[in-house]
Amino acid sequence: MELLPTAEPGRVRAVVAGLLRARRGLAVAAFGVLVGATAAGLLTAPLLGHVVDLVADGRPPSALTTPVVLLVLIAVVQGVLTAYGVSLVARLGEGMLAELRERFVERALRLPLDRVERAGSGDLTARVTADVSIVAEAVRRALPQLARSGLTIGLTLVGLAVLDWRFFVAALLAVPIQAHTVRWYVGRAIPLYAKQRVAVGAQQQQLLDTVGGAATVRAFRLGDRHVGLVAARSEETVSLALRAIRLMTRFYGRLNVAEYVGLSAVLIVGFLLVRADAVTIGTAAAAALYFHNLFTPINIALALADDAQVAAAGLARLVGVADMPAPPAPRIPAPRPASDTGRPAPPVAHVDGAVKVAGLGHQYVAGHPVLHGVDLDVAPGERVALVGASGAGKSTVAKLVAGVHHPTAGTVTIGGTLVDEFATGRTVALVTQEVHVFAGRLDDDLRLARPSAPDKELRDALAMVGALEWAEALPDGLATVVGEGGHKLTATQAQQLALARLVLADPPVAVLDEATAEAGSAGARVLEEAAARALDGRTALVVAHRLTQAATADRVIVLDAGRVVESGPHKELLTADGPYATLWTAWSATR
Amino acid sequence: MGVLGRAVAGQWRYVAVAAVLGAGHQAGEALVPVVIGVVIDEAVSTGDSNALLFWIAVLAVVFAGLSASWRFAARAAERAAERAGHDVRVGITRRVLMPRGGAETGRLAGALASIATSDARRVGMVNTVLPAGTAALSGILVTAVALLRISVPLGLLVLLAAPPVLWAGHLLGSRLERRSAVEQERAAHASGVAADLVAGLRVLKGIGAEGAAVARYRRTSQESLAATLRAARTQAWHDGALLTLTGVFIAAVALVGGRLAARGDISVGELVAAVGLALFLLGPLQLLAWVNGQVAQGRASAARVADVLAAPPLLSSGNARPHEVLGRVLVNGVTHGPLRDLRLEVAPGELLGVVAADPAAATALLECLARTADPAAGTVELDGIPLSTLDPAEVRVVILPAAHDAELFEGTLSDNVAAAARAGRIPGAMAASAADEVAATLPDGGDTVLAERARSLSGGQRQRVALARALAADPPVLLLHDPTTAVDAVTEARVANGIRELRRGRTTVIVTTSPALLAATDRVVVVTDGAVVAEGRHADLVRSNADYRATVLS
Repeated sequence: MELLPTAEPGRVRAVVAGLLRARRGLAVAAFGVLVGATAAGLLTAPLLGHVVDLVADGRPPSALTTPVVLLVLIAVVQGVLTAYGVSLVARLGEGMLAELRERFVERALRLPLDRVERAGSGDLTARVTADVSIVAEAVRRALPQLARSGLTIGLTLVGLAVLDWRFFVAALLAVPIQAHTVRWYVGRAIPLYAKQRVAVGAQQQQLLDTVGGAATVRAFRLGDRHVGLVAARSEETVSLALRAIRLMTRFYGRLNVAEYVGLSAVLIVGFLLVRADAVTIGTAAAAALYFHNLFTPINIALALADDAQVAAAGLARLVGVADMPAPPAPRIPAPRPASDTGRPAPPVAHVDGAVKVAGLGHQYVAGHPVLHGVDLDVAPGERVALVGASGAGKSTVAKLVAGVHHPTAGTVTIGGTLVDEFATGRTVALVTQEVHVFAGRLDDDLRLARPSAPDKELRDALAMVGALEWAEALPDGLATVVGEGGHKLTATQAQQLALARLVLADPPVAVLDEATAEAGSAGARVLEEAAARALDGRTALVVAHRLTQAATADRVIVLDAGRVVESGPHKELLTADGPYATLWTAWSATR
Repeated sequence: MGVLGRAVAGQWRYVAVAAVLGAGHQAGEALVPVVIGVVIDEAVSTGDSNALLFWIAVLAVVFAGLSASWRFAARAAERAAERAGHDVRVGITRRVLMPRGGAETGRLAGALASIATSDARRVGMVNTVLPAGTAALSGILVTAVALLRISVPLGLLVLLAAPPVLWAGHLLGSRLERRSAVEQERAAHASGVAADLVAGLRVLKGIGAEGAAVARYRRTSQESLAATLRAARTQAWHDGALLTLTGVFIAAVALVGGRLAARGDISVGELVAAVGLALFLLGPLQLLAWVNGQVAQGRASAARVADVLAAPPLLSSGNARPHEVLGRVLVNGVTHGPLRDLRLEVAPGELLGVVAADPAAATALLECLARTADPAAGTVELDGIPLSTLDPAEVRVVILPAAHDAELFEGTLSDNVAAAARAGRIPGAMAASAADEVAATLPDGGDTVLAERARSLSGGQRQRVALARALAADPPVLLLHDPTTAVDAVTEARVANGIRELRRGRTTVIVTTSPALLAATDRVVVVTDGAVVAEGRHADLVRSNADYRATVLS
């Protein structure tokens, strides 16, 4: 395992700074408006203090009208400016987030497949779901709150200093306690919350395992064991949640101490200043109100400290991928020229479908080669079946020819060009047993293979793989939402869809690996017919599991332990009395 | 008692402690502005330093009290919530796995898992919500008493005006919130699309559709951004409106309080305290609104939990235990799904192949044979006893259905095979299913951990491990459904032979169209249009029956 890179904190700052620079005007406006809003809000306490002073001075009640009208005015100004400022902050933060996540997804989708596999499929998925949503959540909730709280705290301290600098000093007494508390808390909270997230994930995984496999659990009478597994995972999350709440209550307990120290200090300073006639009672009252009003924003800002740390870690993982070196610029796709389907010829060089494999060798783990010097020539339009026992190297050959892995020795050329230099999938497409139905409309799914295809082409492709009938019978026809959260397609239908995408992508060379393995034996035949039509007119390399696939191919290549041991048409090999003939006899023992 | 009631009752001690201490905390918070007012009146206005020290000490006591009460209230509430959630979670798991089944009917695994996590948590949350509610009421009560003691008219003004202020904010907010919920849902869509594209990464690479996928994601992301901004704007204006309302409310309190103070009805310190209390009061009122929302969510979650727990069992009848099992299986006039009055007999120890061109018929037959469902009409008998009279848990002891989509579980390959194995049967089962070859290719052999439901294995490897597990369980009656569809032809022949040798003398039914497996059976029956239309040895059927040839050998 070699996880995808994580960016250094300095690099993350640079990227964020870069995103900010691109929105300098917006950032300045957002900051300015929020400062205005906060400053307006801070006028409330001195005005209330003024009311107190008017009363203490024994002024008539009518004197109160002006400060009260001002209070109403301030309330309106503060409300409007806050709303506007927070909207601007959202525009700033969300815009940056959208740009970053688009850069991230673009780079993620273009990563070489072997790089993704080395990191484990979970790594990229976790970044694209958990990390993106953690950062988004921070931008959505924490950022506006943090901006407002921070400004309130800062400007309140300024306000205290304006009332009298000694109030400011008194309020600062709370700061060392708060700073220490935050350091104390963050050091403990981050590892604990990380553990908690892992435990919650494990519990979710166990539940999916147990509930998703309920039929299997019942069949093998594993119910008690699985209840025990779920209970154990659940206990783990409970105990971590209790540890987290203990930590949190201690955190707030310490903050209470800071509140008390600061409030007492401000009250004592007020007492001393009033006694010395340095300030009025109203000013002392305003200072006390100021400080009392700080409790909430300080709690909000400090409680966001660990959110911010978690978001920073997520951000580092996003930037790490977004910063990965770009793969070499894909060459212009080279589909076939106009065929008899009447499609206009794309303005690119013609690439014929001749596949030439020379001296191909590969090892996934150093020192464990799985292929040894495989040579293979496939003529344009020829259909070749790869046959062999599991582990013989069939799938490896398929992946190397399709260009999703890079050989450790030897070369693969298509139409005379090295496979590496193609945008994989344009010249050669790979369809594997891993079927994925993209969430969304069925026609959108198909258009991934050919974005500009009109409806008629989609229908033609579906008809070619025998899927048009069921597709049109779906609740909304081709507009039906399928995949995760939508209409669930059967394994056979999903595989037909994969073949329809192949037809639409229309590459001169196609590689099929176990494309019909998962559908059960009844579905397999439907798919074999669909595959045969989809491969019509293409150079095809088919990894054959059912020997019928081999029997209908132009040529059969038998692999054993990473070497080609036999090659020739089905009929010839049957009479050759070699490994293929043995295989065939085993399979069709009764023919 | 309902699900929520049980959740509270099971933890009532902790809930009660949290409620009492939470009330103490809110009362303490309400007292802080009162004490500030007293300090201004008794110390700041008079210059009496003894009074100052006394009241600063009182403030210390108030802070110590509110801090300690909150600490232990929060811990007790969290414990009650987590324990109640845990109980619900385990209860749902137990119900889903009950041998009589029925809980999964009409529910996807993901939905059930989410009921066992999110909904269980929400049900548990009622144990933090109830104490929070009593705490809020206590805060409101203390504030009310303090305000009314300062001045009856001022107290009434605050107490009567505060709820409408919040209510007006809520009215304004709820209309906006409905709109913003829709927007937020659309905003969340982008993350779903990205995850989906990454999940299909191999497919995208296979057809070179990365560019199209990136373009699609950009579009979704931009739509999502627009929706998020609309939602954020709505939220911002709502917050701004609430801020203005609060400010106007405080201005009103200042006006009335100031006039009262100017007339000498209340002291200056009381005016300060009244303003502080008016601001504080919004806190418990908002808490009360939150409690209200949480209770509504908790109710909805509890209803979903109750639905699962009370789901009618799929197999309602039967309490008997089977006697000694010979393994004679009789399907007598069964009508179920596509099956029409199907009759079929399996002799003790026979290896029977069943060919059904219609996958739905194959599944229906296996359901009846395994009694994972009861047929609409007709009976399935084991050694002359109808399965419907047997306890479903007992049926599981004697009849093992090995489904073609059986799951492998987290753990090592060996753990999976040994999960239900009879003593000493594992090596034979590993060899017969060719799972030993799978183990040999893995880095740590049989001790290799199979991640993510064995997604690291190929389809054929998974099938062989699943088959090894079924063979190792060595049940009196074994039902195999398409066990080798993804296994290569060489290995399939070996597996067919292995099954035959290992199951010799024990009843085995293989539902398949694979010629390699059928060739190894004692007898084959062909099910077409829901009934048995042909039977005989595989070789004979291949020779004599054109339809059979078409189904099996095409």
